[in-house]
Amino acid sequence: MKVGFFVGCNTAFNRPDLEQAVRYAFPALGIELDDLEGQSCCPSWGTMPSVDVVGWCAVGARNHTIAEEKGLDIVTVCGSCYGSLAESKYKMDTHPEIKAQVNEILKDIGREYKGTSNVRLAFYYLYHELGPDRIKEAVKYKLDGLTVALQPGCHTLWPSKVYYDKEEDPFHPRVLKEMCEALGATVGHYTRLIDCCGMGAMRSTDMEKSLKLVEKKLISMKNEVNPDLIVTGCSSCLIQFDTAQELLRSGKKINFEIPVLHIMQVLALCLGADPEKVTGLAKTDVSRVVNRILEG
Amino acid sequence: MSSDQVATGVINLSEGDSSLVNEIKELGGEELMECIQCAKCAAACPMVLAGFPFFNKRIIQAIFLGLRDALLDDSSIWACQSCNRCTEVCPREVNPFEIIQAMRRVAIREFALPTLSIEGLKSLYDTGHAVYLAGAGNTRAKVGLPEKPPSTVANPEALKELQAVIRKTALADLGIIPMDESGVKETCEV
Repeated sequence: MKVGFFVGCNTAFNRPDLEQAVRYAFPALGIELDDLEGQSCCPSWGTMPSVDVVGWCAVGARNHTIAEEKGLDIVTVCGSCYGSLAESKYKMDTHPEIKAQVNEILKDIGREYKGTSNVRLAFYYLYHELGPDRIKEAVKYKLDGLTVALQPGCHTLWPSKVYYDKEEDPFHPRVLKEMCEALGATVGHYTRLIDCCGMGAMRSTDMEKSLKLVEKKLISMKNEVNPDLIVTGCSSCLIQFDTAQELLRSGKKINFEIPVLHIMQVLALCLGADPEKVTGLAKTDVSRVVNRILEG
Repeated sequence: MSSDQVATGVINLSEGDSSLVNEIKELGGEELMECIQCAKCAAACPMVLAGFPFFNKRIIQAIFLGLRDALLDDSSIWACQSCNRCTEVCPREVNPFEIIQAMRRVAIREFALPTLSIEGLKSLYDTGHAVYLAGAGNTRAKVGLPEKPPSTVANPEALKELQAVIRKTALADLGIIPMDESGVKETCEV
């Protein structure tokens, strides 16, 4: 098995430890990664999608064609990349006039969008292609005794019509939960499970309002689950939960800290990766939870 | 008409701009007129919880009323997370998220866009990434990765290709960012 790894911006520049986690976990599970050399930004929501539909799709389509030429699906760990690439694909696949205009633009660089590659989210890909049981068999370390709270991420869920990997009921997501349970964790339910974390455009526009959302989520998690660890499904959620806690503590909005990791980081640790490489850039103190995982 | 006036309920309908509806439809909000203001989208919107004065339902209502300036004067349309909860729940398939994107496109055509979006577009053109941290080489090395990811930043030919694509889009026609000269930006986090 082989897939194209779409690393995106935030993972490559902000949290390359998450990039390392993907680069460790996929081969450890027998799946080869192709670098999709020459890929660009997805492009994200505040840029090309906010200017023009065809321009957005054209930049997205160039990325799609890199995977198509190699006959590979695209996997990503970023919700924004997943959403933008899946939506641009959906637009081109369902609107022949958009696809024609995009291909007119791509003609100049010798490319053509065909629509033959799917966009996949890394942990959904593993869930669907390998299944929790095979992943469970492959891991060296487990999350036994750990209680986790989940942050699935908006773009992994909606709009469900554009996604190849989707939940049976996107308002009651199960895939991230089942993955964590397969790794041995106890997953606690909390009321604000599917609330937005406030990262992205909202944080760029109004930091205070953005922090209000993550504060509500953190308090809901703390009061209802009291988790040892927050596990996210999206790189943007990872950055928000990992960096906002210090701001909220210094603003006297919360008086606790919960370690935060992306599911691919947790999986890489369980498969035996070097913790420094796959979690070394966390701002929250993850050492205790990492040691608990490695000590079994 | 200011956003304050709208927020306090003072709306002078004679100042409404009826051309806004058609502009939204042309810029990607084709299903606008299907909206019956049922507010199902508002019940699902993170912008409501965060306290932004304009969120999906109110943006659509303001478009119906032609309140162009009120929407342009307020930053709410730029805070939309593109999370698409609204698109998922809309019983009329209005795609409220698309309406907000279309309103951003209207704003951009009037150069009423946030500095961060301009920086993001320039960074996308210069490096191939809207989010770009010039010092990331050290961070990447710290976790054992090559200084540059295998993207347009490590591949000048790929970057040229991307720039050729962007030069053929509406972004070039609108002249929002300089495209004649290209240099790697320091840092940009949109």
